[in-house]
This record gives sequence, structure tokens and C-alpha cells, in this order.
Amino acid sequence: MSSFGYLVKEGFKNLFHNRLMSLASIGVLISCLVLTGSAVMLTINVSNIVDSVGDTNVTKVFLDDDLTKLEAVYKGKELKDVDNVVDVQFIDKDESIEAYREQLGEEVFANMTGDDNPLPYSYSVVMEDLSKYDDTVAKIKEVEGVASVSSHREVAAKLTSLSSFITTMSLWIILALAVISLFIISNTIRMTMFSHRFEISIMKSVGATNAFVRVPFIIEGIIIGLVSAAVSIGLLFVLSDAIINSVQKILDFPYTRFTDPTVMWPVIGAFAAAGVLVGAFGSMVSIRRYLTHEGSEILGW
Amino acid sequence: MIEFKNVSKVYDSNGVHALDHVSLKINKGEFVFIVGASGAGKSTFLKLIMHEETPTSGVIVVNDMHLEKMKRRKVPYLRRTMGIVFQDFRLISKMTVYENVAFAMRCVGRKNDSIKKRVPYILELVGLADKADDHPSELSGGEQQRVSLARALVNNPELIIADEPTGNIDPEMSYEIIELLSEINKRGTTVLVVTHEHELVKSFGKRVITIDDGRVVSDSDDDQFVAI
Ligand SMILES: Nc1ncnc2c1ncn2[C@@H]1O[C@H](COP(=O)(O)OP(=O)(O)OP(=O)(O)O)[C@@H](O)[C@H]1O
Ligand SMILES: [Mg+2]
Repeated sequence: MSSFGYLVKEGFKNLFHNRLMSLASIGVLISCLVLTGSAVMLTINVSNIVDSVGDTNVTKVFLDDDLTKLEAVYKGKELKDVDNVVDVQFIDKDESIEAYREQLGEEVFANMTGDDNPLPYSYSVVMEDLSKYDDTVAKIKEVEGVASVSSHREVAAKLTSLSSFITTMSLWIILALAVISLFIISNTIRMTMFSHRFEISIMKSVGATNAFVRVPFIIEGIIIGLVSAAVSIGLLFVLSDAIINSVQKILDFPYTRFTDPTVMWPVIGAFAAAGVLVGAFGSMVSIRRYLTHEGSEILGW
Repeated sequence: MIEFKNVSKVYDSNGVHALDHVSLKINKGEFVFIVGASGAGKSTFLKLIMHEETPTSGVIVVNDMHLEKMKRRKVPYLRRTMGIVFQDFRLISKMTVYENVAFAMRCVGRKNDSIKKRVPYILELVGLADKADDHPSELSGGEQQRVSLARALVNNPELIIADEPTGNIDPEMSYEIIELLSEINKRGTTVLVVTHEHELVKSFGKRVITIDDGRVVSDSDDDQFVAI
């Protein structure tokens, strides 16, 4: 066995020797990584949705419920007269219900046609200058018979702010978890070093360099990091698929899944790198003490 | 090979003056006993040589290296020029005799091939070839100390330092250990032994340095002795 092979083996042995602490380290690091991955997936998908709906420059105007179809059709002229409006298109109640059915695929909407239709008549309105958006909406709302105005822009804005709120929250949680996992890993390694202090003192007395003494403990940290990264990738795959599948039933959209190579490979790379970094850094912190002390000081005799 | 010039050591933690203006010189290939009462400063003297402690003042040169201003990262290379033997053997109980000796070679990055050749040779030298696969707990005190000696020798050091190597073993075995050290010394290795056993010291007739209360009070090798 080469001396490096020997050190790798020692790293694994240490890990097993301290399995309870190792598991705790791995667990915390996994929650940190899975949360990070989930936040990334959420951000990607929300921004996809926002992109696809946000740039259709269309505002929906809903009319009062009690308007007859004829009255509703006549409202089109009034809407078109509003400043900044370039085009209006009438949408029948049945068309709206049909659109819902297509999007949501629910049979519930099947017999809500004709007089049973709960939706109001509506218009889709195209504006010329979007910078005057708020002004124009206010004017549309002044038109008699207009119940409400909704635009994809608003939905997009709401989604974006929700997702950025969730991302900010997760960022803090991720940061806290990262600190906790560093702390736990460095304590795990500290325990291993303590249980190996006798060997460490011998290694130093026969002239092992600090780099050499360090290696098994850093390897232990890196193994903790890599195992956590591997489990996190598996978990993220299963978890994100399940979530997307259930969300899809409510809002059909070509979601970006974890298996998308533009997501999967960067995430795997980032997780592996994060695992190695956290593991190595966590162990480095605890090793210092043993490398600045000598013989009987290490042993505490 | 070893030179102390006006070396003093005060322990910061309790202000004890463990060594007080010690000056001496030990040449390459010498065999030296260090004797003195408990607390005289013998172990401190050895710890300064192996850079486990640093002097409060004075100059220390060991194997051509200046220790008083040595950088931490150079210390391992100083240690590789010496083999250290402890009173309590300090063998790793989970490892066999063979592995304990091989460990010292692994620690300095030696290749497997040379480990496989060198360890059996050294075990033969200390008379433990047939115990290679035993664990330290299966050996007598004298045998354990010979394993420890084998480990100190395996990287072919210029100097062997032993702090009371016979302190934990019975008298006949003690004699054997010193004889083994003397054998090693004949092959060119400098040997430094701290001991309390005056009979042993007398029977070997080597250079004897006596330390008392942190000072060198006598040195059987008059030419070298610098009285303060
Ligand atoms: N790490 C330390 N911190 C503080 N004081 C120390 C330390 N090591 C030794 N001393 C003190 O320095 C003095 C010399 O100690 P040293 O261990 O060198 O003596 P010694 O000659 O080896 O004694 P012994 O024969 O009992 O081993 C003693 O008074 C001891 O208490
Ligand atoms: Mg002593």
C-alpha cells in the first residue's frame, strides 16, 4: 500500500469510527444542498413562466357580470377610444371557459357553457406604449361596465416578487445551514483528531510534515462532503420531479426539470465542489490546533 | 553535531528555569549518557534538541541546523535526522510490530518497495524478526522498547535520542537495550541516553554529562566541558 493509499484508507476508517457525528454532518449538509437546489429550480421555473407570459403585451379587461352580450360587444368601441389603446378583441364567455379547460384539463368546466357560465365577458386589450401602462389601466377602469383589469404583467410581477422572496428566505436559511454544517464537520473532525492524538504525536515525532498529518482528516471531510452531495442530487431529482408533477396538474407549463442537462450538470458540479470545499474547510479549521502543538502537549501528558 | 551555546529555558506557564546557560558540544558518532536528579532539566534538554520546545535564549545547532530560529515547516526535516525513543515506548496498539515500524517510513513518504526491504532488516537487527506479526500488548517491556528502537532507526537517522529508555523495563532487559544502542552507535549513529541507572552508566564507560538544577555540573569528557 502506498502512503497515499494508506491515508485514504485512514480517512474512511475515521469516518466509520465516528459514524454518529459523520451522519449528523452529512444530514445537515444535505438539507443545505437540497434547499439550495430547490431554490435554484424554483427561480429557473418562475423566471421561465414570467418570460413566457410577461412579454405577451396583452391586458385583460373583465366586464360586469350583468351585461348582456350585446352590451358587452358595444363596450369594445369605448375601450378602443381610451388613450394609448391600439387594439381590442372581444372574448366570449364560452371562449374563456374553453381556455380554462385547455389549460387545466379539468372536466369540471365541461357543462359550464351557455347560461351556466360563471365567467364574465371580457376583452383583451393591446397598448401602444407600455410605459403609460398604469395610466391607461386607470382610464380603462373609469369606463362604465368594466369590472376589473388584469394583465399578465401583474401576474408576472407577483410571481417574480414571490419567487425572489422565497429565494431570499432560502438564501438566509442556506447560509445558516452552511455555517452549521461547517461547525458540525469541524467538530466531527476534531473528535477524530482527538481519538487519534496519539498517532498524530508519533507522526510528528518521526518527521511527518503537517501536510501529511492533515491528509486523512481532510479526506474524511471531503468524503463527508461528497457523500452529502451525492445524496442531495438524488433527493433533489426525486423531490423536484414530484413537486413539478403535482404543480403541473394545476398549471400546465413546460417546466424545466432537474434532468434538463443545462440544470443537472451545473448543479452536480456545484454540489460536488461545495461538498469538497465545505468538507475540506471544515476539517482544516480543526486541524490547525494539532499542527501548532507538539508531542506531550498533543497527548495532554 | 549537537552544540548548545549559552542556552537557557524558562517555561512560560510557571516561570521555572529548567535550563540555565548551558553550553556543550556532542560530536558525530559519540555515545553520551545524561544523568541528574529528577527535575534537573534532562528531558528539557532533549526536547530542545528535537524542537519540541524552543530556547528562551542561546544558540542550538543540531545536525547543521540552527534550532533557535527554525521555521515551523522545517521542523519535520530536523526530526527526520533523528530517531526518538520514549520511556513509555509509544507504540500504536492496533498495529503489529511490523506496521509500527513501517508507519515511521510511511510518515516520511517512503515507497512500499523500500519499506518491504527495510523493515525486516531492522527487525532482524533488534532481534525481533519472529515477532513481526505480534501486537505490542503481546510483547514484554524489553521487546516493546526494541520495537520502539527499531522505529527510531528505520529512517536511518544520524542521531538517536532516548529519554529513560530503560525506565519501564527490568534490569537485565535494560542492559540489553543499552547494549543494542551501543551496537548501533558502533555503526556510526550518535546516541544520547537520559537515565537514572548509575550502575548501567558505570558498566558501559561512555561519556557522562551530569545536569543539576538546569546546569551542566560535570562532563566526563573534560576537553568538551565548559564550566560556568
Ligand atoms: N511543559 C512544562 N511546563 C512547565 N514546566 C515544565 C515543563 N516541563 C518541565 N517543566 C519543569 O522544568 C523542570 C525540569 O523538568 P525536566 O522534565 O526537564 O526534568 P527531568 O530532569 O527530565 O526530570 P525527570 O528525571 O523527573 O524526568 C522541572 O522543574 C519541571 O517541573
Ligand atoms: Mg525527564
